Amino acid sequence: MKVIDLVNELGLQVFSGKEGLNNEVTGGYTSDLLSDVMGHAETGSIWITIQTHKNVMAIASLKDLPAVVITSGEQPGEETVAESNAENIPVLGTPMRSFEVSGKIFNILAKK
Amino acid sequence: MRPIRADIHIHSVLSPCGSLDMSPAAIISKAVENGLEMIAISDHNSTLNCNLAVELGREAGLSVLRGAEVTTSEEVHCLTIFPDDVAAAAFQEFLNEKMQHIKNVPEKFGYQLVLDREENIIDEVEYFLPAALTASIDEVEKKVHSLGGLFIPAHIDRPAFSLYSQLGFMPSDLAADAVEVTGRIPEVKCPVIRNSDSHMIDQVGKKFTTYMLDEPTFSELAMAFRNENQRRVISVTP
Repeated sequence: MKVIDLVNELGLQVFSGKEGLNNEVTGGYTSDLLSDVMGHAETGSIWITIQTHKNVMAIASLKDLPAVVITSGEQPGEETVAESNAENIPVLGTPMRSFEVSGKIFNILAKK
Repeated sequence: MRPIRADIHIHSVLSPCGSLDMSPAAIISKAVENGLEMIAISDHNSTLNCNLAVELGREAGLSVLRGAEVTTSEEVHCLTIFPDDVAAAAFQEFLNEKMQHIKNVPEKFGYQLVLDREENIIDEVEYFLPAALTASIDEVEKKVHSLGGLFIPAHIDRPAFSLYSQLGFMPSDLAADAVEVTGRIPEVKCPVIRNSDSHMIDQVGKKFTTYMLDEPTFSELAMAFRNENQRRVISVTP
């Protein structure tokens, strides 16, 4: 499934990285510790987090993640947005908590 | 110029995790006993015991700097050290403004006490001080530098609340004056220092950094971090 499908299904806000909305999502990873994501996230996983620091984009790019979902209504900073656009990795937003949006994405992916 | 031993990361009874015997007076006498010439009091997100410590330090012949160990919104602990009372007071206002109002449970987390020179408790901070501020690491760095302070990511190699644990790696453009490590000395662009991060009185003086300075003052320390006029970091304890 593509990032855009999740955006449409869950009403996620697209902050940046629109060029990457057709990136393929094969799984998900929920964590706020960048060292943890660096060590354990699998390529193709959409990353669910409340971290907004620009290092998020560096890790997403390193691990070849299709998109980042910022939860709890947090906003990415300017630098994060710029990196997202440069890397074509969308940064998405939702007022949902990480638990809730993770559960929804898990279910959507399980049905495919 | 001479080698000067300094430990700029010490918690007092104001930090909930700081032992109850960590009064400014006790910290100072232990620091003097163990041969430190300069310390900083750096409680979690607060400078409220600093002025007392500076005053007591002056009487005891120990240079005491005002500091705080800030928890950024990313939950990265950063040491912040200030040149004087005015800068520290301005930073305290910033802390008050960015503080999350999560109530402390002293029985669980520990007491957060502000003392006077007779060691009377003059205030007990109601909100849990180590909670993350609503300010990002970049915002904190900019604020500290705008006040003429020093910004030092703390224990960057620890598995929790560190630059590496929270952000994965050192952001290339982070304007750190130095970094504090607990283990092996990493290859970084800025000076690397070691401090005790004391929470208990017996830890004071066990770990420190030796600097080449003319005298134990804030401005000399700042010069050492910039490698100016032969001021520099000489070595750190193992």
